[in-house]
Amino acid sequence: MSGQPQIVIDKVCHTYRPPRGKPVLALDDVSLSVGTREFLALLGPSGCGKSTLLYLIGGFLPIERGTISVESKPVTAPGPDRGIVFQHFALFPWKTVRANIAYGLERQGMPREQREARVQSLIEMVGLRGFEDSFPSQLSGGMKQRAAIARTLAFDPSILLMDEPFGALDAQTRHLMQSELLSIWQRTPKTVIFVTHDVQEAVYLADRVAVMSARPGRIKTIVDTKFDKNDKNIFKTKQFVDQVDAIWDLVRDEAIKAQGGRES
Amino acid sequence: MAGIEQAENARGSATALEPEQSAFAFVFRTLCWGAVRSLPIVLLAVAWEVFARSGAVTMFQLPPLSAVLERIWHDAIGGDLFINTGLTLYRAITGFLISMVAGVALGMLMSRSAIMRWFFDPIISVGFPMPKIAFLPIVVLWLGFYDVSKISMVVFDAIFPVVTATIAGIAGIERELIWSARNMGANNRELMWQIALPAALPQIMTGLQVALPIAMIVAVVAEMVMGGYGLGGAMMTEYRFANSRGVFAGIVEIAVVGYVLVKGMSLLRRRLLIWHPEASEPTTV
Repeated sequence: MSGQPQIVIDKVCHTYRPPRGKPVLALDDVSLSVGTREFLALLGPSGCGKSTLLYLIGGFLPIERGTISVESKPVTAPGPDRGIVFQHFALFPWKTVRANIAYGLERQGMPREQREARVQSLIEMVGLRGFEDSFPSQLSGGMKQRAAIARTLAFDPSILLMDEPFGALDAQTRHLMQSELLSIWQRTPKTVIFVTHDVQEAVYLADRVAVMSARPGRIKTIVDTKFDKNDKNIFKTKQFVDQVDAIWDLVRDEAIKAQGGRES
Repeated sequence: MAGIEQAENARGSATALEPEQSAFAFVFRTLCWGAVRSLPIVLLAVAWEVFARSGAVTMFQLPPLSAVLERIWHDAIGGDLFINTGLTLYRAITGFLISMVAGVALGMLMSRSAIMRWFFDPIISVGFPMPKIAFLPIVVLWLGFYDVSKISMVVFDAIFPVVTATIAGIAGIERELIWSARNMGANNRELMWQIALPAALPQIMTGLQVALPIAMIVAVVAEMVMGGYGLGGAMMTEYRFANSRGVFAGIVEIAVVGYVLVKGMSLLRRRLLIWHPEASEPTTV
């Protein structure tokens, strides 16, 4: 983290306009910066606009007020420097695992031989060997997300935007995928912005956790959460548990607000 | 970690692989299943034969199925059957293919351009439920009695379900799919041909499966009204000569041709949508 932060979000507001009904202020005056190769978690109750913020950084939604810049250049459109991974995988269902992963490389015009070698190495990396020619509908949830992560890593973005990527997986698979993501991140360091509403996941994975308030979304606090990620017993250490509790207290009020003020 | 990975892999492959079975058992089961499935049609045929021979109706009102089949056999030997069937199929399928290309293209254009949508949306809303066959006298007036007018009638009717299915299919694509493709550097043209079209293909195929029987129906009706060769025209000729065996022969021929077309279309769907979860389920049509 030297010099200018890689991603600078400056006073961004976003209004969600449903086809019917009145507009909703989803993000209100959000400012945040993320350093190169930093792992930042965006944590907040559902509907707080954390995914919206991610889509704005990705360039998928137009920025109406404020600015977002990546490497000092303002974001105006999606680009292969920012790879996204969605909760529901968004794999192309008519393409095999191999063809899904190869798609970004084809668009970049990488020669065939080089492309095939890269796709194969990614398949090995995410543990999908033997499923190269399967269609997404033939894979389990965890395998689909591995394929989706491999597809995004394939075009080698310097920034990884992850939108609750393990939210649709069962608890065991989720846990496994978390440690695999960490090991991939340690091998190929990238800046990661990881959206989640799971406090433990955020504390475990991220260097910093940005806690967001209920709608309209604001950055409430940013907490440093650097732990030794390779420690297998990290979840049991007092330090970790205390940190999770402290952040959970911050999120709790917001979750209750998001539920409409009812404590349930 | 490796253990869990293996367990996960096993789960994936269990759905991908089929249980082993010998070729003989497979053929036997397929034949039995086919017999069971076609039983209602066989029962209907038997009921027709018995009722027609019971004396409750005259030969003129309802000729027995055996007499109708005999007539079809004669037509087959004489070659008329193939000329008529071929002509009807030519008109129906040409019209269907034009509807397919034009309908998908129009649907894609309407999905992409607000101006196209503004222009064509009300036209399609008014045109779809309208009985297009009512335009037949006008089409005859403008285009004459021959293939051009018959095929035009088919296109005029069969294009609507293709356009609406294409629009609905493209509108139903998850935005995450589009965003992923954009993220990987797809431009507008690549997005349309490489992402939107295959993603909408299940719906488009459904539209085509609706359009095909319509094409067949309109081809036959147009032939019945305009006359000449073709299954519909031949039926009308028999009708004018008060030959009910000939009329019933036409009905049976149309039924068989229609069935083969629809069945072929459903097989094509399974081949094209091999990636779709539905491809591993039993067929319904």
